[in-house]
Amino acid sequence: MKRETLVILGVVAGLLVWLLVAGDYAVSRTNRAMIYALMALSFSVLAGRLGWFSLCQTTLAGVSGYVVAILGAQHGLPYAVVIPAAILTSMLFAVVFGVLTVRARAVSFLMLTLALGQMVWALSFQWVGLTGGYNGISGVRLPMVLGFNLNDPRVFYVLLATCTVLIFLAVHRFYNSRFGLLLLGIQENEQRMRALGHPVYLARFAAFVLAGAIAGVAGVFLVYDMGIMSPSPLSLNQAVLVLTAAVLGGYRTVWGPALGAGILITLQTGVAQYTDRHMMVVGAVLALCILLMPRGLSEFSWKSLVRGRRATTSST
Amino acid sequence: MKTLKTIAIGSASALAVAATVNAQADDTLRVGVIGPTSGVFSFFGEQQRMGVELAIEELGDEVAGYNLEVEFYDSQGDAEVTVDQLRAMDSRDDVDIVVGPVLGGTGLAGLEWASGSGVPTVISYSAPEDITMRDRVENVVRAGWTGAQPMFAFGEYVAEELGHEDIVMVGQDYAFPYDQLGGFMRGFCAAGGNSVERIWHPTDTADYSSILATLPQGDAVLYNGAGSDGLAFFEQYRDFGMHERMPLLGGSNFYAVGDLPEMGEAAKGGVSALQYAEGLETDNFIAFRDAFWEMHGEDTMPLAPAEHGYVALKMAVGAVDESGSLDRDAIISALRDTEMEDAPRGPFHLDEYGNPVQNIYINEVKEVDGRLKNVPIKTYEEVSQFGPYDAEEYMASEPYSRDFPPSDCSDDFYQQ
Repeated sequence: MKRETLVILGVVAGLLVWLLVAGDYAVSRTNRAMIYALMALSFSVLAGRLGWFSLCQTTLAGVSGYVVAILGAQHGLPYAVVIPAAILTSMLFAVVFGVLTVRARAVSFLMLTLALGQMVWALSFQWVGLTGGYNGISGVRLPMVLGFNLNDPRVFYVLLATCTVLIFLAVHRFYNSRFGLLLLGIQENEQRMRALGHPVYLARFAAFVLAGAIAGVAGVFLVYDMGIMSPSPLSLNQAVLVLTAAVLGGYRTVWGPALGAGILITLQTGVAQYTDRHMMVVGAVLALCILLMPRGLSEFSWKSLVRGRRATTSST
Repeated sequence: MKTLKTIAIGSASALAVAATVNAQADDTLRVGVIGPTSGVFSFFGEQQRMGVELAIEELGDEVAGYNLEVEFYDSQGDAEVTVDQLRAMDSRDDVDIVVGPVLGGTGLAGLEWASGSGVPTVISYSAPEDITMRDRVENVVRAGWTGAQPMFAFGEYVAEELGHEDIVMVGQDYAFPYDQLGGFMRGFCAAGGNSVERIWHPTDTADYSSILATLPQGDAVLYNGAGSDGLAFFEQYRDFGMHERMPLLGGSNFYAVGDLPEMGEAAKGGVSALQYAEGLETDNFIAFRDAFWEMHGEDTMPLAPAEHGYVALKMAVGAVDESGSLDRDAIISALRDTEMEDAPRGPFHLDEYGNPVQNIYINEVKEVDGRLKNVPIKTYEEVSQFGPYDAEEYMASEPYSRDFPPSDCSDDFYQQ
């Protein structure tokens, strides 16, 4: 328990120091990294606990972004309505997707989420009356609260960092809870869990909806961060980016997704400044990481590197 | 320990980001140019880049007492990336003026960002109407056009000069073609047209046989799109032998932007409309074209996105020259007063909403000096983004969409 408190305090202190020392641009990139960390977390809840690799978590985030844009920017509803509605809509989509995917396994789950995600993406392009199509919906803004302009990157940072830390903490608790362990058990041996009388499908379904809620929160922040909602966050590229962040950081741990998203955004930001071929550099780094650290950075240890592949496989 | 290591790695990478932020002194005019230089729309971004490079060469390193520094940013044709890059320009690189974006959706993302940041912005090729209409903001002007702007004249030309009454339109299903059709319908109906049948297809359609097999009869077909879709449609239209039954008219980007070399001889006689034509023979244009060829080689024809990038950079630098400072408000008011008598496309000035009032050329594809070009066959002078209509009335009507304006010219909408 002590160590946990220490780590939390360390993270909070680090985030605060960062706010004080970093320039505006670095802060706005950090905001983006935190948003992707949330999406990668949403992905990791399914991948790490259930062995389900979902390509529709960014879609769920996009859905909530569209709800914010449509209700907030177009119809001018109050924030207290818009934001809960956005997250609930994401969860509602997760319920529908969950019903369709709950019985699927590994590859068929991946393909199903890919198909569902691409359907919503296509819809966002073509249902112009609702989504504005390719042009999207602009003018999505946060209000002034107590004299603070929430759109200012630094104020937004405080808001986003608070939510991100709280959500990661909650997921940390969740992983160690009975329900979290049940999910792990299902991944290890579904038959046995069923034989023990656990509602396997229900548990999976609940985890899917929970992941949807996290994605929904990420979507709300994403749309306020960008100020415009267009189909691009729903594209396959983004889904792959989130998958990459989670795998790079290590989707089995709680902090892995945040680490992966941070490194990915740092790479993109840092390398893109010097060359247009930045994706090649990012790709090379990724390939190296995955070859050397197949379980992700957060589970990296020198020992496994020295002992080679045997150690990494034996601990699975 | 694992978690501690995680934090250590995390903060190390975070510091790397911080290190990239550096301070800069201010006797330099920094212009950030954004366009899609990678991805499927890279043709447009590359054209813009080449145009801007030509303008830089002509202007030299020093303008109005400032060192000119121009940096290129890749939007990848994506709204999210565009916002990120614009942010980098403002908060990392301390850019004074933005030139671009090029595409429709990225233009609106740019507008959204510009309205928050207040950075003077010269939109180049991006054509959504509302950038300089319903959603206009003080610090954003445009060097290019709106989607409907060339089409008012084209609709009028098709009805009046070509004498077509019933048109079948096949178009890509997104906002830009809606705007193009909107302008066309207004001009066409006002000049005595009868109706336009519309068929929308999703972007990236490769096979048009189902559309072509059931194409309704009309006096002509208008293909309202461009790019690989446009090329595929063009080829299949001929494969079906439709060109013998109905002539093929083009939306503004169809014959004019990029596909002409692949279309080849068969494109001869194709008619479309734009505020630009590479077949212009004015002195200003020829000087621009020759300088462009000298810089980038004669194989590359300077097309509208190149000219708009060239003009946009000159507008930006001209505004600083005029105001004599890097003060944002001074630059913005000088930008809004832009008048360019010697632009390659022909003279233009900005209307009070910040969009060029300019010549619209009806172009026909012809072979000149062994090369296919869009050659102007008729010029409509001083056309604004509102065409012949009153600005306030125009903006009060609903924005163009899939089904608006109505297909039938006898509709009340056209009787105002």
